[in-house]
Amino acid sequence: MSELEFITREFLLESCENLDQLDRDLVMLEQDPQNQEYLAGIFRTIHTIKGSCGFLGFGKLESVTHAGESLLSKLRDGELQLQAETTTGLLSLVDAVREMLANIEVAGSEGSQDYAGLIETLMRLQAGKSDCDARAGNSSSSGGALATEDCGAGHNGGGSLSDEDARANRVTIGEAAPGGVSDSTIRVDAGLLDKLMNRVGELVLARNQILQSSSMASDAELLSTAQRLNLITTELQEGVMKTRMQPIGNIWGKFPRLVRDLALQCGKQVQIELEGKETELDKTIVEAIKDPLTHLVRNAVDHGIETPAMRLARGKPAEGRLVLRAFHEGGQVNIEITDDGAGLDVERISQKAIENGLLTHDQILRMNDREVAQLIFAPGFSTAAAVSNVSGRGVGMDVVKTNVEKIGGTVDVQSVPGNGTTIKIKIPLTLAIIPALIVTCDGDRFAIPQVSLLELVRLEEEQARSGIERLHGAPVYRLRGHLLPIVDLRRELELPPRAAAGPADLNNNVVVNIVVLRADDRQFGLVVDAINDTEEIVVKPLGKQLKGITVFAGATIMGDGKVALILDVLGMAQRAHVVAEDRERSLVDQATRPTEQHRDLRTLVILAVGDRRLAIDIALVSRLEEIARADIEGADDRDVVQYRGQIMPLLHVGKLLGIPHADAQVDRPLQVIVHSQRDRSVGLVVDRIIDIVQTTVEVTRPANNDNLLASAVIQQRVTDLVDVPSLIRRADPMFYEASVEEAVVA
Amino acid sequence: MHVLIVDDSRAMRSILSHILRQLGLEVSEAANGREALDRLQELDQVQLALVDWNMPHMNGLEFVRQVRADSRFDDLRLMMVTTETEASQLVTALEAGANEYVMKPFTKDVVQEKLKLMGLLCDVTVSNA
Repeated sequence: MSELEFITREFLLESCENLDQLDRDLVMLEQDPQNQEYLAGIFRTIHTIKGSCGFLGFGKLESVTHAGESLLSKLRDGELQLQAETTTGLLSLVDAVREMLANIEVAGSEGSQDYAGLIETLMRLQAGKSDCDARAGNSSSSGGALATEDCGAGHNGGGSLSDEDARANRVTIGEAAPGGVSDSTIRVDAGLLDKLMNRVGELVLARNQILQSSSMASDAELLSTAQRLNLITTELQEGVMKTRMQPIGNIWGKFPRLVRDLALQCGKQVQIELEGKETELDKTIVEAIKDPLTHLVRNAVDHGIETPAMRLARGKPAEGRLVLRAFHEGGQVNIEITDDGAGLDVERISQKAIENGLLTHDQILRMNDREVAQLIFAPGFSTAAAVSNVSGRGVGMDVVKTNVEKIGGTVDVQSVPGNGTTIKIKIPLTLAIIPALIVTCDGDRFAIPQVSLLELVRLEEEQARSGIERLHGAPVYRLRGHLLPIVDLRRELELPPRAAAGPADLNNNVVVNIVVLRADDRQFGLVVDAINDTEEIVVKPLGKQLKGITVFAGATIMGDGKVALILDVLGMAQRAHVVAEDRERSLVDQATRPTEQHRDLRTLVILAVGDRRLAIDIALVSRLEEIARADIEGADDRDVVQYRGQIMPLLHVGKLLGIPHADAQVDRPLQVIVHSQRDRSVGLVVDRIIDIVQTTVEVTRPANNDNLLASAVIQQRVTDLVDVPSLIRRADPMFYEASVEEAVVA
Repeated sequence: MHVLIVDDSRAMRSILSHILRQLGLEVSEAANGREALDRLQELDQVQLALVDWNMPHMNGLEFVRQVRADSRFDDLRLMMVTTETEASQLVTALEAGANEYVMKPFTKDVVQEKLKLMGLLCDVTVSNA
């Protein structure tokens, strides 16, 4: 890098930093127009940029900043009063400067954009109340036209200098400006910090190994050295973690400007307050929550806060308040976004949820307001009456939730109708080193991130034998009166089933260890062989070949040097179908998902065969019938009945699919689903018809030739979709062909 | 000759030190007046300070006043680095004890000429010869 390139780089870095601060200062200044501190800061930034760019040969940038500086100096000297128009002009100045800096960074020059209009605007604003106009300071912008000519011309000729000469002694120079810490800091490439963190991770692992082996050694010196290594490593780890910490204010900095612009656009008045700007978070997390937070702020201004007229009508001040608060609590960072707007309209949300087929009317009735409010996080959910320019850009609250959960956080919404909404986000401080519970399954250890862990349940003896029940074929455990779906880690990982005498056999053994986990606001129990201990683990990403495996979030190296895989609790829950997978769809990495997923709104007949829940698309069902057993006749070794003047064959779904089921109750009539193709019909015999639902179906495991069922989650339960045509073909290969022939003949 | 650059802008410091080093001078930097006073006490060979006007903590004018109030720095020459907008205040700075000024934006030639005017570059040339 040549020296000039180096200087240009310094110039760009410094200018960008200063501009971020300037955005904030300008918005603050608008609220407190007399504040010399803000004015001095703003003036200095523009002044500094102007000073350097002359030397670097950026003439266009210089002339724009020069016009801005002249305007600012008048403001600073109290000759002009700040008005909305002035602020807008100054913000456009900042935008123009940013644009040119960006061009310089990319192309080495300011770009071809013409800023004459902006310069003219800045001159006009400056002239609006300059010496040539009314010095008294109550002039309106209408008086500016004449003044523009006077001062504009004077300025070009350097005449403004004399204006400034005249008031040389009234100037107060930035003594009130707050001190920066820049003097004692150095800039470090973020990539280097990542590398350092990685090395420290390795060191922590090596430390763990040494501690483990030295604990068995009798050498006192080795022991004390190991202890010292332990201490130093911990301190080093903390130190390096600290270097990666960034105050959340870094991403909040843009919000005052964003809110100001949005509010103007929506015709609203919004005041933003930032509390806890200095709260620190790991760099990667700061980056990850930037977009979700921006979205929430946009939402609050666009949907949350009402128009001034509406607010006044409701007895609130015309100006809405938006408060962003960040604080540490229990090893996590809490971020709250509170507006004093209209609050969530529970009625509308319920209505929308029913319209979207998300939930049935009955389900809504069973929910309380708080639960209904959470529906805003459901995929594709929007109650905005009109999609406005501000929100409704295709990113919904579901993406906010997904992104926050991706980094191990949670989102919660609280709302008081008429009083406002608070969105609470909880996120971990760091992702690099996390506390985790170590469990064992088939001799291998697995780590479960502690954030997902709720409690541990150990069933022994009689309880272990009978504690786990089956409901519609799915294992469940009654935990304090609630049904907890049970997932067996062995089965999910396709490990060999436990030996009959094994310690935790689901059906008939002595001890069952259940790890109660939370995934996506639902709980489920994970059955493991043994529960070991909690540990601080260093998260290592999986190689890209293994990235597609959703049940693992990463790997770590244990004290004995062996690798343990980290379970992805949400992925595990979805694989086991204990939570709905809808949200998966909206994930950005959808393309990398191995399974194809189909999703559309369908009406399904839900039925039971044996202990399985099955579903048939209503389009394939012509009638639901009850047929008395006495009416069944045998023909060619097959059950048939007379039905509407025809002979209708009966197919026993359970038998065809090989689902074991209890002997049918002889006294009850047969439950039959009639499927018709042209003039031919076939009756599908099932044990019980449960319900008809309209729902979106997410096929998680498609049907294949060996299996006529595709699995999906319907009404939060695993349900198998029956491939009816294939099922019928299996029993009667000619059923469809015959009707096709007939169709041709007809 | 050793020159101290007093400016809160990193970019500006880089520019100035680039020019001064091209002129064969030794350069130190300070980010504001207060830091500059500290640096002056550490480095006893500083002959010239290039002083920016508008800085946080301690501005250029205040720095000039403090330097001139301290007899240890009697030999130190002070050059104000100003812009057109600050030109009006120059008199104040010169009255307070600044020796020379240079107006932004400037080129290497301008700085060189100013240093020659102050008799500083001549000294260097002579001592080098």
